Amino acid sequence: MFPRPLPEEKPLQRGLYVGFVALILILWLLPLFAVMLTASKTADEIMAGQYWTWPKHFNLIENFQAVFAQTNMWGYFINSLIITLPSVLLVLVFSTLTGYVLARYNFKGNALVFALFVGGNFLPAQIMMIPVRDLMVSVGLYDTYLALIIFHVAFQTGFATLFMRNFIAALPDELFQAARAEGASPWQTLRHVVIPLMRPALAALAILTFTFVWNDYFWAIVLTQSDAVKPVTAGLNNLRGEWTSAWNIVAAATLFVAVPPVTMFFLMQKHFIAGLTMGAVKG
Amino acid sequence: MSHVRLIDIDKYYGSYHALKSVNLTVDKGEFIVMVGPSGCGKSTTLKSIAGLEAISSGEIWINGRNVTREEPGDRGIAMVFQSYALYPHMTVAENMGFGLKMAKRPQAEIDVAVKRAAEILRITDQLDKRPKELSGGQRQRVAIGRAITRSPEVFLFDEPLSNLDAALRTQMRVELTTLHQQLGSTMIYVTHDQVEAMTMASRIVVFNKGVIEQQGAPLELYHNPVNQFVAGFLGAPRINFVAATLVNLRDGVAEVALEGASTVHVPVADTAGLTNGAKLTLGVRPEALKIGDVPDAALSFDAQVRLVEQLGRETVLYVDAGPLAAIGSESGTHNFTVQLGTAAPYAAGQSIKVSARAADLYLFAPDGKAVNRPKLIAASL
Amino acid sequence: MSELWKRHRNWLAPLLFIAPGALLFGTIIIASSFESVWISFFDWDGVGPKTWAGLANYRELFADPQFYVSLKNNVIWLVMFMAAPPLGLALALLVNQQVAGMRFLKSLFFIPLVLATVTVGVVFGWVYDPNYGLLALIFNLFGATAPALLADEHAVTFAVVVAALWPQIAFCMVLFLAGLNNLSPDIIGAGRVDGARGWNMLWHVVLPQLRQVGFIALAVTVVGALRSFDMIAVMTSGGPFGSSEVLAYQMYEQSIFSYRFGYGAAIATVLFAIMIVFITWYLRMMVRLEKETR
Repeated sequence: MFPRPLPEEKPLQRGLYVGFVALILILWLLPLFAVMLTASKTADEIMAGQYWTWPKHFNLIENFQAVFAQTNMWGYFINSLIITLPSVLLVLVFSTLTGYVLARYNFKGNALVFALFVGGNFLPAQIMMIPVRDLMVSVGLYDTYLALIIFHVAFQTGFATLFMRNFIAALPDELFQAARAEGASPWQTLRHVVIPLMRPALAALAILTFTFVWNDYFWAIVLTQSDAVKPVTAGLNNLRGEWTSAWNIVAAATLFVAVPPVTMFFLMQKHFIAGLTMGAVKG
Repeated sequence: MSHVRLIDIDKYYGSYHALKSVNLTVDKGEFIVMVGPSGCGKSTTLKSIAGLEAISSGEIWINGRNVTREEPGDRGIAMVFQSYALYPHMTVAENMGFGLKMAKRPQAEIDVAVKRAAEILRITDQLDKRPKELSGGQRQRVAIGRAITRSPEVFLFDEPLSNLDAALRTQMRVELTTLHQQLGSTMIYVTHDQVEAMTMASRIVVFNKGVIEQQGAPLELYHNPVNQFVAGFLGAPRINFVAATLVNLRDGVAEVALEGASTVHVPVADTAGLTNGAKLTLGVRPEALKIGDVPDAALSFDAQVRLVEQLGRETVLYVDAGPLAAIGSESGTHNFTVQLGTAAPYAAGQSIKVSARAADLYLFAPDGKAVNRPKLIAASL
Repeated sequence: MSELWKRHRNWLAPLLFIAPGALLFGTIIIASSFESVWISFFDWDGVGPKTWAGLANYRELFADPQFYVSLKNNVIWLVMFMAAPPLGLALALLVNQQVAGMRFLKSLFFIPLVLATVTVGVVFGWVYDPNYGLLALIFNLFGATAPALLADEHAVTFAVVVAALWPQIAFCMVLFLAGLNNLSPDIIGAGRVDGARGWNMLWHVVLPQLRQVGFIALAVTVVGALRSFDMIAVMTSGGPFGSSEVLAYQMYEQSIFSYRFGYGAAIATVLFAIMIVFITWYLRMMVRLEKETR
């Protein structure tokens, strides 16, 4: 069962193994293939109820063009970028600072503050929904980018702090003693020692945070109303309501929403996996 | 003139009393080695001098300045760490210049200082490499170079050779001693390795349980330990201890009875607290034990060889003396350790006679204090 | 000034560093959660003034049959989600071989994890479509008619949970793969020398080393189950007739659609209480595991 490595000298066994894994993979991703198939069809085929046949005309490009031309998906997409990118940046800055302090300074209440960050990061969003929504309404930020940015930064700082704290705590203590012995101030230590060493961790955290924020749906519908600020997830659900029968268009839009996180994932897969696992496993 | 002074240093970790009123004066240019078992306070003392540990009470003076409340970077010290603590993302040159850069010195000055240190340590051709491209010995040199670059008042070393293999350790030991002669700087060095202590120190400071047990020149400590702890800590193989009972004390000579051997007469200098029947400890170093009859032997017993270690130039025997049992011996048994300065053809199972002269015996009071004639052994050498 | 700063920077600097993150997280996340508890004692439409209601919201809640439906569904989510760690482990073991091209196949397995839950919801909306969906296709192959799962009040929650398990299994798989990567080769070697093979190897040698990862996988799965909202919102909107609602969704619906913020806050408080029990357990386990590994 466990890792008896497949022998190199038995290509047949290896081939069968890969074939078996591929079969499982196809079943595993079947729902996704269905969407791709649908996104490649013409409206006529959909109307005729031919969902599962091979597309007669390969219509993917046209469907995407329709998504851009006839729906507001492109606008939602830009909104998502405007919300996500600053959020990621601020989360990185804040969590590096908090993580550094929690990892390196042994003050009274350190464990409590850390426990609040970790515990708070597990809370379902609905628990804080009413006060947060009320706060945003009362300061006039409801239905603005800033409302979503502020909330996402606050919430993601919880996980990100856990993540950064554990990474920085894993650095050897003597490195910090050396910096101190050489007269580096806390800020200099952070800038010249911690941040350069944290680069891979920061990359991993950036991708994770990007995915989390980009994929958010709940806060998008709680804190925004107008199409001008709605991110792409909320947009997709709207679209589904408006274009009920044009499934080829909805499918194309669905793929479109998935493009940034999936691309990020494939481009920086190593960082993503490392981040997800190290952040979690070290916690 | 004293260069580093520790005055009544106390350090608590919570309720644990790590340093108990430590006083130490170091002169300019001395090479101080602090030794002791782990947890004895030697590293804590070093880190207190560096300022990496805040002391609970007392004062630390460096070069005539009270630095007790100063930051490590302002104390005029440089430190070499056990793990070297090189910054993995910086080149060798950047590592070495980091302290000066933090002090916002001009780059030209940093370059000069780095180059000078690199020349001293012969690592000029490694300056553009990163720590992970270097071998253990080279990393060690960079760590020392980093300290030299800052031209500190005092060098602090925290077990710097313990991560090196045996051959390299010997080599670096020699280099450090040479470096000390070359720079003439004050160096304070922590180790648990007594060979390093004996070979490098101009003065050894022996720590135990947060207090300084004894300090002095290496041979002084070796020959005239003030107590049983120091006698047991210095010397490899370890000194043999055996339980002894005071039978009679007359004219400065103690007559002690040993289980399974004849009575032994040992000259005693300090008779305070010695009464008949007192439980004492007799000590004799492995190299002081001779095989066969020795003229004017004070101690002699029959034994059987259990194990022979042939080291080429010397031979170490572990011998079983029956009811006469060694306490806490090198071999972890009740066997005595005998060290012969030659290759000797002994074999396990052989019966031998072991003897030692009175001048080679140490006698310790129940509280561990050495009671027999100090200086006598040194004089007889 | 600079002397003053230098003397105090050892405690001032960390204070300044931690302030932005801690203030933001403290007010928006922690304080808000507790404010919900406070609001639950009021009658409030979200706009007008709040009127003190004492425990009225809770009395109503505990008499509300929908509350028990939601709670039951939360339990179903939690129980069914427990399948994610073992299935994730199974997939991780399946792909844990050094064969050319395996890295790429592995990463394809992770795709559901990076999809937005909305996307997953939309995708599974398709799968379950009784006329044209994947499920319908399979049923038609056997000459049967597919049931309308999302319209069936007895089946709907199970159908939604199956959809939600898709990314969750991928998540657990990633965790276990990392765990398998970190196994000590020496211990595996020792097991092999001792003749452990197959199930014995897995059970006695491998799984004990995956304890910490297993704990994390379990924790993220519990959190995932209790956070279930997006999927329900997208796939069923809680229907039919509230039969697929969970506490989180009921809370949202009562507040946003019925303007009963006090009542919604009471539901949030119940959810909060459940979470605090879980978080306390998690933090205690974490401390214990951290001690073990030291």
